[in-house]
Amino acid sequence: MRRFRFGVTARIVAVLVVLGVAVFPLYWMFVTALSSNSDLFADKPRLTPDLGQFGVFVDALAEGKAAGWLLNSLIIAVGTMVLSVGLGIPLGYALSRFSFWGKAVLTVVLLFTQMLPEALMVVPLFALFRRFELLDSLTGLILVNSAFVLPIVALILKGAIDGIPKELEEAARADGARPFTTLTRINVPLIAPSIAATAVIAFFHAWNEYVFAVTFIFNPDLQPASVGIANFIGELGTPIQTVMAVAFLFTLPAVAFYLLVQKYVVSGMTAGAVKG
Amino acid sequence: MTVVEQTGAPKTTPPGRPRRRPSPLGSKWTPYLFLAPAALFILVFQAVPLVQEVYLSFTRTRLLNPTRSEWVGLDNFNRIFGDPEFHRTLLITIIYVITCVVVAIGAGLVVALLLNRKFRGRGVARALVTVPWAAPGIAVALIATWMLNAQYGIVNRFLDAVGLGVPGGAILDSSRYALPAVLATTIWQLFPFTSVVLLSALQSVPQELNEAATVDGAGRWATFRAVTWQVIKPTVGLLALLMTIWSLRRFELIWLMTKGGPVGATETLVIDLYSQAFDSKELGSAAAIGMVGVVISLIVIIGSRLVARAVEKGDVR
Repeated sequence: MRRFRFGVTARIVAVLVVLGVAVFPLYWMFVTALSSNSDLFADKPRLTPDLGQFGVFVDALAEGKAAGWLLNSLIIAVGTMVLSVGLGIPLGYALSRFSFWGKAVLTVVLLFTQMLPEALMVVPLFALFRRFELLDSLTGLILVNSAFVLPIVALILKGAIDGIPKELEEAARADGARPFTTLTRINVPLIAPSIAATAVIAFFHAWNEYVFAVTFIFNPDLQPASVGIANFIGELGTPIQTVMAVAFLFTLPAVAFYLLVQKYVVSGMTAGAVKG
Repeated sequence: MTVVEQTGAPKTTPPGRPRRRPSPLGSKWTPYLFLAPAALFILVFQAVPLVQEVYLSFTRTRLLNPTRSEWVGLDNFNRIFGDPEFHRTLLITIIYVITCVVVAIGAGLVVALLLNRKFRGRGVARALVTVPWAAPGIAVALIATWMLNAQYGIVNRFLDAVGLGVPGGAILDSSRYALPAVLATTIWQLFPFTSVVLLSALQSVPQELNEAATVDGAGRWATFRAVTWQVIKPTVGLLALLMTIWSLRRFELIWLMTKGGPVGATETLVIDLYSQAFDSKELGSAAAIGMVGVVISLIVIIGSRLVARAVEKGDVR
């Protein structure tokens, strides 16, 4: 009995340690944003946020370019989400329901793209972007981000459609519905949670993307937040509180949305990876 | 009588023929209509650039003058494989990948076993533990750099306080501590994913079997090996594959924390490839380095398939 008690305490401590490790860096980002200079560079750092400094968030958005960066990120992320899910639904449907010439090749290509490092593709894509005048444009980033996230979106949605009984569609087909109608009327509503999960994955893939953004955008007004924040690193000019405030505003929506849909995202990602 | 027969006749359809004709594009072309837009996209932005990259790896091409490209055959590959610095890059890549795979899965499993127990607030704990995975890589690199700051970083202050301080505190500038620091940051970001996936695998472990094993007098470790491990083994294999490929590709965290330095101590293949292309401006060598990475990934994928097949057959245990 005594040993059992000890086990429970040890377990509670272990859980708290794990949660501390998981959450601390983000908490520290928040604390740093809300620190006065004297606290920040004092011998003993202050471990709790100084809520009196809350204005730093307002200042960071009002003064610097941060609001513009976040807006650019939002445009890129929404565009990528719409485009990749819009193309991924029909692709997933085709992979799930039809057999066609080239299906095996296409599936292998989709899996293969998962292992290509973005850094490898930057050079040839740069040439392509220059030719099509996509450099320095948010549209270009939307296109390339969509292409990179499309395979995982399609594989997840294929897995979801695989789980729907074919009889439902056959009944609709017998009533004369065309394939596109059965897809939009029957499959899409049934896989809505998976679609939401892929939308979140696509949105934050683009929201977080750095390599293409830093290479293809020169105009500072078109920079997304990932590039803007990365430029802070190793740069001494900006107060660290502002840097952390912007980074916190950039991180918060990503974390909040993942927490909301994490169940679907995780099951979707593993299903997509397993079934391929 | 005859009237009835005549009106009845058109209603019967010949066997094997659908009641209504499908649309003209109904059968053969339908799948292609569905997949064409996406396939075109992947062709333009992935397949064609990849082919160009393969071509580049056999040429000498400068970033500043890419139109003057000279075919040099296997020169780039001969050069990088003859270069001791590239050997170091390969070694660091292997250390980086293996550590990520082993520690991320190990830590993830421990956390998953912990969170698989019933306790109050378990749902909240499970959600909170995923936070690192959800945080953008850029933000992670930024906060890690700040926490590891030589003068004001909380990590150094903590290490100093417990008497383990690095002299001068410059962890990211030390060829000895930079790689462990980058690894710790990477693993911090990866372990939530492995733990959440393993947690869902643990949920399919039949409790009766666990109880039966315990009743039979099996110890905890024996029960784990006989029951739990057997159930989660395929998931662990899948995670190992995913972690390998993800850590081989991982760029921005390392690049923003150390740029591969100090003196190449954290230079993985992807970092080397990027600095060859954009610092040394040698597109051919960069492409060749990239090809090495792609081949390693392919070997890992094919190898894991073969192992999985052997395990299924029962050749390997």
